[in-house]
This record gives sequence, structure tokens and C-alpha cells, in this order.
Amino acid sequence: MCGRSLAAKIRVGKPWTAARWALATICALTAMHAAADPLPGVASINLCADELVLSLAAPEQILSVSWLAADPEESLLAREAAHYPLNYGSAEQILRLRPDVVIAGVYTSPFTRGLLKRLGVTVLELKPETTLADIEKNLRLVGAAIDRRDRAETLIADMRARARRIVAARPDPPVAGVVVRPGGFTVGEHSLAATLMKLAGIRNVAAEQGLDRWGSLSMETLLRSRPQLLVVTRYRQNEPSLANAVLAHPALASMSARHETTNVRAAYWACGLPASLDSSAELEQAAAHSQ
Amino acid sequence: MTPDTAERAGGWRLSAVLAVVAVGTALLSLWIGRSSGGATFGLGGPDLASPIFFEIRLPRTLLALLVGGTLGLCGAALQGLLRNPLAEPGLLGASSGAAFGAVLVFYFGLAGADSLLLPTGAVAGSLTALAALYGLAGRRGDFLTIVLAGIAINAFAAALTSLALNFAPSPYAALEILFWMLGSLADRSLVHVWLALPLMLPGWALVVSAARGLDALTLGEETAASLGFDPRRTQWLVIGGTALAVGGAVAVTGVVGFVGLVVPHLLRPWVGYRPSALLGPSFLGGAVLTAAADIAIRLMPPGPELKLGVVTALLGAPFFLNLVMRPRLAAV
Repeated sequence: MCGRSLAAKIRVGKPWTAARWALATICALTAMHAAADPLPGVASINLCADELVLSLAAPEQILSVSWLAADPEESLLAREAAHYPLNYGSAEQILRLRPDVVIAGVYTSPFTRGLLKRLGVTVLELKPETTLADIEKNLRLVGAAIDRRDRAETLIADMRARARRIVAARPDPPVAGVVVRPGGFTVGEHSLAATLMKLAGIRNVAAEQGLDRWGSLSMETLLRSRPQLLVVTRYRQNEPSLANAVLAHPALASMSARHETTNVRAAYWACGLPASLDSSAELEQAAAHSQ
Repeated sequence: MTPDTAERAGGWRLSAVLAVVAVGTALLSLWIGRSSGGATFGLGGPDLASPIFFEIRLPRTLLALLVGGTLGLCGAALQGLLRNPLAEPGLLGASSGAAFGAVLVFYFGLAGADSLLLPTGAVAGSLTALAALYGLAGRRGDFLTIVLAGIAINAFAAALTSLALNFAPSPYAALEILFWMLGSLADRSLVHVWLALPLMLPGWALVVSAARGLDALTLGEETAASLGFDPRRTQWLVIGGTALAVGGAVAVTGVVGFVGLVVPHLLRPWVGYRPSALLGPSFLGGAVLTAAADIAIRLMPPGPELKLGVVTALLGAPFFLNLVMRPRLAAV
């Protein structure tokens, strides 16, 4: 397009020629730049890496994401992921895609990461996000690795604006809340869930009892902590598991009858993404109700 | 021909057949890969053929053969030493002990995944488990006592591994118990071959050097001693060798069960009941079985890879049950 419209304009008249030639040169340079430097091809082999890649990359540069990314129970971006080939994270499979860069997590199989590096593949290893700053950092790291820095900055600016809106509307003083996850697990001070709760104006009573990252919460402790708001994450609740049976505990049932209870999709808290702030917005509404 | 030389000739013939089968299995293992759609055949494009062959399929195949061979050899030697048909590195706790040793060294920051300290920790764990078993039940124990003591030590080592993983600083350690308890060959590189081999080689050598002593032990400890074989020396050769070889194996692949139980039993009818005749064929048979199980994993329908130990247990556990139910068990 650039070339054809320019050719038409160049024929028009002399006085403009210099300017048009300059424009043509810029156009040509941009085209050359694009031809010489296509965006790096990227494959990701870890759910959180997948979701960052799906948020940041141009569609044509995504070679593959892991199979978990296409599972709506696990992933916030399952619909987007369904457009791409899915991988099960084996080195052979990834190598066949000839990626310029592979995005993994620091807890992805050390054997696979080691083997890919040995084979000369650039592997970016991301730490799990527990704060908004972590999310920004990982967005920038992935953005830089796949040549999408501008997109990363746009997402970060939007996320900050959204966080400010959530903070402006949150209940003050904060509401006492506690998280109950399948298996009787709860979240402590240093976790993504706690960050997102705090943002929404909920103080985490489990963290106040000294829990650092995550741990189990006995029914007794739960009852004693007298939360105003019970935040329950449900995860594959139609499939039988001992973990989900905990959520049916009579003590918990009687408690949720007396207190405000809200459900949060487990996928919001699995990985730190701009979209994780959706859970803060939902929690904020629940917190307002509980007062 | 005396029965003895006939047996020996049978042993050699069996070894030759098994060696051919092992080469065939290895070639298949080098040929078959796995991708999103399940198994793939061949090596892919010309530029990828070399890394896929040398860096991915070759280490995986080599490790399957080495680890399988180790388990087969040590299973045969332990069955001879303990004069017990149910002896096996997995059931007796040698493998779980090794996993515990490796877990301690790895998760508490003493060594990285590619440091020789990792298999050394595994060897120490394996040796402790075997020495405890032998000290508690080995010398005078009847076959039931030995197996029950082994099961107890196995359970204890598994519990310690679980405990260690629970207290490990890495938040994902607790989930990685699956790898240590079920074993896998996925995405191992040549680094892991070089990590395991320096321990496996001397381990095999120790076990093989006990061969004659094991034969003599079938006549009872006193007769063996009168024939000039020191039973204690034979014991420590087998235990030390097994700890070295199994420790090296477990450090890179986790616990792969039942190979050491099944293979000597399948081969014994062909070579007779002299433990020395069984060692070589059991090494080759273990290599074949493990490589074949690892090929089966790649042929499964699309999805995340099954763990190797799951497949070997699926094959081995019914076999074990069959052995236990057999009335003439005590006579073997």
C-alpha cells in the first residue's frame, strides 16, 4: 500500500518531489526493516508463560503454547490459546517448531529447560508473580524477549490505571476476609491472591496469623478468625477429589450461611496477568456487600 | 556334554539373542519420538535430525538401556545373595533409599541437578537402606522376613522422601515427589548419562565379581566358606555394587520399579538356577524391558507423558502377585 500510493503521488508535481522522495525513503526503510527483522517466533511451555505470550505477542509469532493454556479451568485465555498448536512441553516437540525463544517458568522441568539450552535455544525463565510489580516485570521481560516492548508498556499503563480505579472504590476500613481453597489451603501474605485481595480492600486474616505464602488452614482456625468475607476458590468441582470434599465440610457450610461468601475462579490466581485484576474488581463488590 | 556346560551354552545363546533384541529395541527407541499428536517416526527435517538424534533420542535410549540393565543385573544378584525370589532393588528399598539421598542433596541446596554430588547422595541413601536390611534380616532371615523388612524399609525411605520434599524451600518440591517415586526418562541429556555412568560401571563390576561367590552361596554359607568363598565378601560386593549402580540410576531417572524382579524370573528357566549364569542375561533383559516400556510411553495417545515407573509397575505388579501366589515359591 505504502509503495503504490507513493508512486501515484510522486508523479504529480515537481515542487513536492523532495518531500515525497524523503517519504518514499522512509517508507522503503520501514519495509526493509520489516523484511529483515520479522518478529521472533516464540513457544511457551508453562501456563503462566503461555498467558503472558498470548497477552503480548503478535498472532503470527506464536508457534505454540502449552496444552494447559487451552483449558478454561486453568487458563484465563483459553479461547485465544485454542488458535495455536498446543504442546506438552517436551524438548523434541519444541525443537521441531524452531522457535527463536522459548518462555518457561523457573519451576518448569529442569531437564527440559537444560536440554533446550544445551541445544542452543534461548530459554527465558519466569519467576511466579506475587505482586503487581512482579506482573509488570514479567510483562517487560517477555515483551523484550519477543520484541513487543510497546505492547508490554501499553498493558502496564492500562493495568496501573485499572488498579488506581479499584483502589479508589475499595471499602475503607478494609473488610476481614479469608480464602478457602480446595484441600483446605489458604493464602498468606506473600501470594498473588493476597495482593489482589488487598487491592480490593480486604485484609487477609490468615496473613495476620503469620502465614507467609500459603498453607493449610484448619477448620478450627478458620472459625476462630471470624472473617466477614469468605472467599472460596472452586476448581474442577465436578471431578471427584479429596481437595474439593473439604469445601463441603459442615463447619464451612454453616459458616458460609452466616457470612458473605464469594467465589473466585482459580485461574485468576494461578498466574499474574493484567486480567487477574478482574478478580479484584469482583472481590471489591463482595467486600462492599459484606459490610 | 555335562549338564553344567549345557547350561552355560544355553546362557550364552540366550545372551546373544537378548543382545540382538536389545539392539533392535534401541534402534526403535531412536526412531520413535513424541509430539502433540502422539508418536512421531523418524527424525524430522534435515537441520533438526542431528540434534534430535544425538541430544534427545540418544541420551534417552542410552539411559533406558543403562538403567534397565542395572536394575536387571542387581535384581538377579540380590535374588541370588538373599536366596530369595522376591528380592529386587525396588521392593527392598534400595531405590527409595537412593531417591531419599538424592532429594536431600538436591532440594537442600547441596548440589545442582548436574553435579556428581547428586548421584553420590543417592548412592549413600541406597547403601544405607541395603545395609539396614541386611543387618536386620539378611543373614539368617527366611524369605518372608527379608521381604517384609524390605517393604518396611522401602516405606520408611518413601516417607522420609516425602517429609524432606515437604520441608524443602522450593514451593514446588512437594509436587515433584511424583518424579522421584515413579521415575521418568523424559528430556534427559548426555549430561545425565555422564552423571550416572561413573557410578554404574564400578557398581556393575563389583556385582559381577561376586558371581562365583553367589554360586557357592546357593550351597549354604558353610559350604561356600569351605569352598574358599568368603560369604561376607560376596555380600558386600553385591550390596556395595547394587548401591553404586542403583544410586547412579535413581539420581537421574527416579525410582523405576519391578524391572529387577520380573527380568531374572523370566530368564531363569533358560539358564538354570546358578546365579552367575543369570547376571549377564538379566542385564540385557532389563535393558530391553526398560527401553520397550519407554517406547510404549511414546506410543500412548496424545497427552502429557506417562511416567516410566507407572508402565513398569503395570507390567510388574501382576507378575509379583503371581509369584507370591505360586505354591512352590519357597522351593525356588
